[in-house]
Amino acid sequence: MKQFKSLWRWVAMATILGAVSTAVMPQAQAQTAPRKILVVASNQDVPNFDPHVATGYSASALLRNLYDPLVRVEGNPPQVKPHLAESYTVSADGMEYLFKLDAKAKFSDGSPVTAEAVKYSFDRLVRLKKGNAWMIAGIVDETSVSVVDARTVKIKLAKPFVAFPHVLPWLWIVNPKLVEDNKGTDDGQTWLKSNIAGSGAFVLKRAEPGNLYELEKVASPWKSGGGNLTGAIWRIIRETSNQRLAVQRGEAHMALDLTSEDMDALKDKPGVVSVIEPEFRTFSIKLNTEHGPLADINLRKAISYAFNYQAMLDSAGYAQLMVGPLPNGIFGHDPKLAVPTTDLDKAKEFLAKSKVPNGGIKLTMVHVSGLEQQRRFALVLLDSLKKLNIELDIKPMVWPDMVASTASPDKMADFFPVYQTANYGDPDNIAFAAYHSSRNGNWQNPVYKNPKVDALILAGRAETDQAKRQAIYVEMQKQVVEDAPDIFGVLEKRKLALRSDVQGFIFTPVASNAVEFFPLSLK
Amino acid sequence: MIRFIVRRLVLLVPVFIGLTLLVFTISHVLPGDPVKLAAGPQATAEEIASLSREFGMDRPLPQQYWHYATGLLQGDWGQSVLTRRPVAADLKIYLPATLELVFAAIFLAILIGIPAGLLSAITANRWPDYLTRILSLASIAMPRFFLALVLQLVFAMSLAWLPLNGRFPIIDLPPPAITGMLTIDSLLAGDWLAFTTSCEHLLMPALAMSLSPLATITRMMRASTLDVLQQDYVLTERALGLSQSLIILKYVLRNAFSSTLTVIGLYIGWLLSGSVLVETVFDWPGIGLYATKAIVTQDFMPVMGVTLSIGFIFVLVNLVIDLLYGVINPKVRYQ
Repeated sequence: MKQFKSLWRWVAMATILGAVSTAVMPQAQAQTAPRKILVVASNQDVPNFDPHVATGYSASALLRNLYDPLVRVEGNPPQVKPHLAESYTVSADGMEYLFKLDAKAKFSDGSPVTAEAVKYSFDRLVRLKKGNAWMIAGIVDETSVSVVDARTVKIKLAKPFVAFPHVLPWLWIVNPKLVEDNKGTDDGQTWLKSNIAGSGAFVLKRAEPGNLYELEKVASPWKSGGGNLTGAIWRIIRETSNQRLAVQRGEAHMALDLTSEDMDALKDKPGVVSVIEPEFRTFSIKLNTEHGPLADINLRKAISYAFNYQAMLDSAGYAQLMVGPLPNGIFGHDPKLAVPTTDLDKAKEFLAKSKVPNGGIKLTMVHVSGLEQQRRFALVLLDSLKKLNIELDIKPMVWPDMVASTASPDKMADFFPVYQTANYGDPDNIAFAAYHSSRNGNWQNPVYKNPKVDALILAGRAETDQAKRQAIYVEMQKQVVEDAPDIFGVLEKRKLALRSDVQGFIFTPVASNAVEFFPLSLK
Repeated sequence: MIRFIVRRLVLLVPVFIGLTLLVFTISHVLPGDPVKLAAGPQATAEEIASLSREFGMDRPLPQQYWHYATGLLQGDWGQSVLTRRPVAADLKIYLPATLELVFAAIFLAILIGIPAGLLSAITANRWPDYLTRILSLASIAMPRFFLALVLQLVFAMSLAWLPLNGRFPIIDLPPPAITGMLTIDSLLAGDWLAFTTSCEHLLMPALAMSLSPLATITRMMRASTLDVLQQDYVLTERALGLSQSLIILKYVLRNAFSSTLTVIGLYIGWLLSGSVLVETVFDWPGIGLYATKAIVTQDFMPVMGVTLSIGFIFVLVNLVIDLLYGVINPKVRYQ
């Protein structure tokens, strides 16, 4: 027994030693970033740096700091400002643009940004048909861009497109020499995936996929002004609560993907500034207007009036209700548009006119598996439909399956929820993507079609007179509301958190999380 | 012994063929449309078809499989449809991060679990035993992600002893990548500061991950030690007057450890495939997060790459475990 006691002591000691040796916790170095290096927390990786291939907000954010476009967008409401092009003119019919390049503009290897480089970049984008090429598909082709002289470039549009200046901030100019030197067999795609050939104020210093990307400011950027940043780190932090904690602890200067709950938790936290701003990101529930019970317009209208919009707003956190198909505040939006509001009597009136006057049917709504917000909205719909004696089957699906289901009306569920972020600050973006029939079979507009709406959208693209253009979009919105293809939902506000030592930040409702680093400073 | 190893390695070939066939078939018959997703919302039917051709997805399934299998033999693990990055390059980045985490977790589990199991057995039905058993049960019952959050709250947020997340301070440059495991790379570079820094980052995620194997190892060690303590040879050794420490450490531990070793081998595979929760909480850029993203977007090639690499490591680890049986117990002989 005595021996056992001695052994017990030995084992106990070994256990404690083992535990202590592994659990010794050396003081962690405080992970505060050195001043002048901005640390941005985002949940999105940047798998590809080719400016004519990459998509996603993280790619947009880094590319707009590594490359330059002809013009840039800033402010609220968003304004197009000169950039590589110090000025530009548009022909009276809006079909021809003449850009005068800034003589100071140079690539990071010191070579000047010429009209030839602009032509090369547009031609490559059109040729590859990837990335943001969709923004100018059918509008700019292989013959559109021509060099007038070393500093002047002409772009002749194949089709009228008034929103053209608004898409330009997302079409970047590459250094032709570098791309040609590394062209390979795929037009330089392999090389540009991880190498930079830009003229931006920053260059890529370090890339650790899945972890971080470090940008370093070039010694003498061609642009004048700007903030005092010497570099920036794009740090991938997947959990929004971890992003919040990182800003709270000063480990990140900016968090880009926060939820309403995070914003509430950050209230009154020292050294943290909350930015909660409306942006052009819509959420609506698309109805299957071509197949099944919802092909009946009266049933669609009944549902639109039965829907509990207030409950949706309450569950959306920081948000505002949409007024019609276009985002509130964008050019052309009609704030006085008569849209359905919760009105059960009116809903029952329309139901009585429908093919199912007593309800008694079961409809289906899909939503992205794991997206809690969409599940909540589905529950609001379920509750609203009960008042019409209609049941709702809610089916969570992975996003690729949902995308596949939009291939044809018979595959699409009765209700299909969609978030749409405006890629450029013009009504054409959402109008064309979400309501033009050429987009049928696609998740942004799976089935809705109306020749009158199509014509109005195309007219809006071509009209150069602002007042007339405004009237076209007002008419288009009225017609869409009349057709009731969507339950117009909410505009969730953009929720960002910044450390108070970040200066020079101006919110823009277009691509608001693709932050431009050049104007920013750290105290 | 050599014949045994060769035979086990040869057996890997049908295992891999079976694995590739199974995963390839399952992932390609799912109803989603990753090409349409990758082409983007604005892509035309022509662009989607062109992308499908580019990735060979317009070909019949057997042809696609043949293309993939022959590519594998040449070291080509395919390309992600969504990111267009080669899978092999991605695995080279993400796999070592997870392996480092898993090995650290198993190391902690062994380091704490074996003495705890021995203590529990030696003090059977007394308070140290009760305490160990209660802690073991609690450890098995507690979800890993919950413990991870508690650890973050206590050691990173309240006490500020350890970094909140990540593998290395973002401002500092990590040691030159040789194995991809920062602790080992920093040792190879002779950089002690980098080593301690990477250990600080590793400690909390490894502890959160080690909880379940730690509890199992403790329980297994307790049960097998109790069993061995009843054996006649232990009685004989005691009768011969050998010290209790010697009996336990030299004879009992060795015999009791064999069954625990099996569990360790199984746990390595389990941890490799289940690392995603801990990786998410600690922003550990490992294979779990990579695989999860690929699965939900039905990006076939990364899914295939992850499955094959985990399968390969699992088989290899268990081969090593089998060989260790012979080291621990000389009576075990391989033919």
